[in-house]
Amino acid sequence: MSKAILTDVTKCIGCLKCVSACKEVHHLDADVPRVWDKNDGLSAENWTAIVFKDGRYVRKQCRHCLEPACASVCPVGALHKTSIGAVVYDSSKCLGCRYCMMACPFGIPRYEWDKAVPHVEKCILCYDRIEEGKQPACTEACPTGATIFGERKELLPLVHARIEANPGKYIDKVWGEHEVGGTSVLYLSDIDLGFLTYPTVKGDKPLPQETVTAMESVPFAFVGMGGAMLGLNWIIRRRMKLGEEKAKKKDPAHE
Amino acid sequence: MNRAKNAKLVLWILAGFAAAVALNRYLFGLGVTTNLNDRTPWGFWIGFDVMAGVALAAGGFVTTAVFYIMKREEFHPLVKPAVLTAFLGYVAVVVGLLFDLGLPWNIWHMIIYWNPHSPLFEVGWCVMLYTSVLLLEFSPVPLEEYSRYAKIRNFLMKYRFVLVLLGIMLSTLHQSSLGSLFLIMPERLYPLWYTHILPIEFFISAVALGLMMVAFETLVSHWLYRRDPETVLVGKLCRVAAWVLALYFVVKSFDLGITGKLGLVFNGKWQSDLFIVEIAVSTIIPAVMFAVPRLTRKPVVQWTGSFMVVAGMVLNRIDVGGLAMYDSTASYTPSWMEIAISLGVVSAACLVFLFVLERFNIWEIKPADPESMPQTAPSFDYSSRSWLGTPDAASLARHSLAFVLSFALGMGMMSGKRLHAEGVDSIRVSPATGIDTLCINGNRDDQYVEFSHEGHIAWLRTHAISLTIDGVVHTASPSGGDSCTFCHHLNLPGEKVSNCAECHTSMYSEVDFFRHGWHASAVGANLKCDDCHATGVTRNAASAKKCTACHRGYDFAPGKGAAGPELYIPSYVDAMHKLCVSCHIADLREVSSLSQTNGGILSGKDKSNLAQCASCHRTGVPPELRADMKWQVKLPHYDNVVLPNVGVTVK
Repeated sequence: MSKAILTDVTKCIGCLKCVSACKEVHHLDADVPRVWDKNDGLSAENWTAIVFKDGRYVRKQCRHCLEPACASVCPVGALHKTSIGAVVYDSSKCLGCRYCMMACPFGIPRYEWDKAVPHVEKCILCYDRIEEGKQPACTEACPTGATIFGERKELLPLVHARIEANPGKYIDKVWGEHEVGGTSVLYLSDIDLGFLTYPTVKGDKPLPQETVTAMESVPFAFVGMGGAMLGLNWIIRRRMKLGEEKAKKKDPAHE
Repeated sequence: MNRAKNAKLVLWILAGFAAAVALNRYLFGLGVTTNLNDRTPWGFWIGFDVMAGVALAAGGFVTTAVFYIMKREEFHPLVKPAVLTAFLGYVAVVVGLLFDLGLPWNIWHMIIYWNPHSPLFEVGWCVMLYTSVLLLEFSPVPLEEYSRYAKIRNFLMKYRFVLVLLGIMLSTLHQSSLGSLFLIMPERLYPLWYTHILPIEFFISAVALGLMMVAFETLVSHWLYRRDPETVLVGKLCRVAAWVLALYFVVKSFDLGITGKLGLVFNGKWQSDLFIVEIAVSTIIPAVMFAVPRLTRKPVVQWTGSFMVVAGMVLNRIDVGGLAMYDSTASYTPSWMEIAISLGVVSAACLVFLFVLERFNIWEIKPADPESMPQTAPSFDYSSRSWLGTPDAASLARHSLAFVLSFALGMGMMSGKRLHAEGVDSIRVSPATGIDTLCINGNRDDQYVEFSHEGHIAWLRTHAISLTIDGVVHTASPSGGDSCTFCHHLNLPGEKVSNCAECHTSMYSEVDFFRHGWHASAVGANLKCDDCHATGVTRNAASAKKCTACHRGYDFAPGKGAAGPELYIPSYVDAMHKLCVSCHIADLREVSSLSQTNGGILSGKDKSNLAQCASCHRTGVPPELRADMKWQVKLPHYDNVVLPNVGVTVK
């Protein structure tokens, strides 16, 4: 029962009610441009933002990947994907290494650079509201139905049906269906949404798999290097011993 | 012996300077100290302090492998300094990390919360374990001095081989895993550096760097204490390094060739140039120099070669750690404070190294403390014949003085403005334009609030209203003639209606409207305390005279701005919101029904019916208003972002 959000870019009117609702529900402070901002509207105080691109309003938020890179790299497991589909953050575990920010292919997590006790900030899919049986604040606030909430496996057929029902209206692609292994935030659009990802992220391979080979070979490298060193040491000692015996034989008076 | 003394003086100065910056970092956070940002969350501290630091400390495991495993007895003089360097290097890495981590007091969480998928988890554990191993490997040296610890020392000596073996195994893991950290971010790291064999490249280069760091450290410490350099041994290290560097070069070129990235090396981008410089300095030039056995015995070659490898490989780690980003718009250059902290950590490690070198039996003949040499530290001042204390005390005094002075200098260099600004660019507001209909846009390019000035005047002339915002009472009544002062609550001398941006000059930060310092300073108003504050009571804003007592020309309407000197006045955004929203609060809560015309996309007019930010803030200034506008600086933030959500706080 993996939940998901579907955003239909063609229906968004840029009213920002989702942004306001998010701020209200999560008690986020006033947002001012900071020198460390990434210029895409998201910040530690703005978990979702509307980007104006090619005449369309595109809502940006955490994509809640099915195999999240951020959760895979966190050394203390402060980020994890819950059963309802949200990738959530446990600030009590975090050490502030910011590896999640480096690893995210969508560049979503933000940091409270101005605080002496800083935390990572990002959309948490209102998992607490979902557990209460409500839907996320943003989808609830949307007046046009541009962004809706539901089961991921129920939303996907709906999206494809919508594409088929309106031939030519949409690009025949669901953003988030397969990219980096699929995400829980899906987009339907008539403009290319490639800009939401880093341009160099290609293919549908989940990013955590990039490190699997390296991490799996760790025990072998450990034991292998130990064995190699012991073997080398044994050979060298034996050679030295043989050399000594040889020298002894040659020159018995040496003793 | 002046070399060691002067070197220590410089190290103490750097450490003191860093201590001041450290204070700033812990009190005010990473934002004001570093140039790190949401685009480049890792920077110089990860690249230099952590990644280069670990690699620089590789000399420990390489030297012990050569001596204990391969039984090359001739390297014995290098083992103790190498293990000490490695131990201090790892301690420096951990200390450096304490500055970089946002929540450094949680660093121990790695022990209890496990995520074995994370390369960083593995690196963290290896560093913890290896630092402990290094401590055990090295502790027989200081324990030698104390006979009561002989048992512990013997125990450690007995199992030294096991420790060495464990150390090598752990080093193999985390030296390579530092490369694995970046495998998950093909989108960030420039392709010339990103490769699936990055862990292997990191391991090979760490071995080369370890060898050369031992060589460089030997050369420097022997030069400092005027010892005969271990030319023969260092020469041997250089010859081994030539092979390792050659292997590194072959592996790297082979990998670039197979993945078809060779073309990227010469495409003239700044990343390519960086790559060429890095590989030339770290690998090609030193390898060629060391390839000739005759040359490796020459001190000049040893000095330049080892320095080039050290500098080049450090550059490599900084490149991978954040400099060689794919996204060329991600602009990050380390701030001077970041560099100061890194230098300070390294300096502190060097000071401990020199102390241990002088205090314990690291070398076969201990170097004498330069300060205890009678010819360099006179006990009596020549002119006054006054006693200067024992040489030790004189040395302490000089070094403490250097530390304290540089600490003070560091504190002085902290910019108070930056501390208050909290990362907010000071954005000067431009006044609203227009006559009957004002276009209020501050200086936000193409985003504006259409404000009917005439309409508001007409309304205020026919309605009675009283509003208290932040202690300032705004009133207007049909007969009072105060429809102007309802909004224009304070005006410049001689003006009836000064515009809002005149005082609320800054877009997002509070403005020091009163400037106490200027009033009290001799070059300012040159007032004495008693000129404004009543005597016998606490001197604060409440006990001060009203501004109007002196500034008679100001048009203070009754009850407005006369409550007392306002030290800080709200930012333009806050002032506007408070004034507008306080009245329009009812309008804002009301949601009009949407007209589903235009294929679900509302036109500009319909949009204003929505009850949120977009009710007032609009995009696309109409031509008739545009002609009137004086564009100021375009905001550097929010390219293409619609109406950044400004938090509305209403009291």
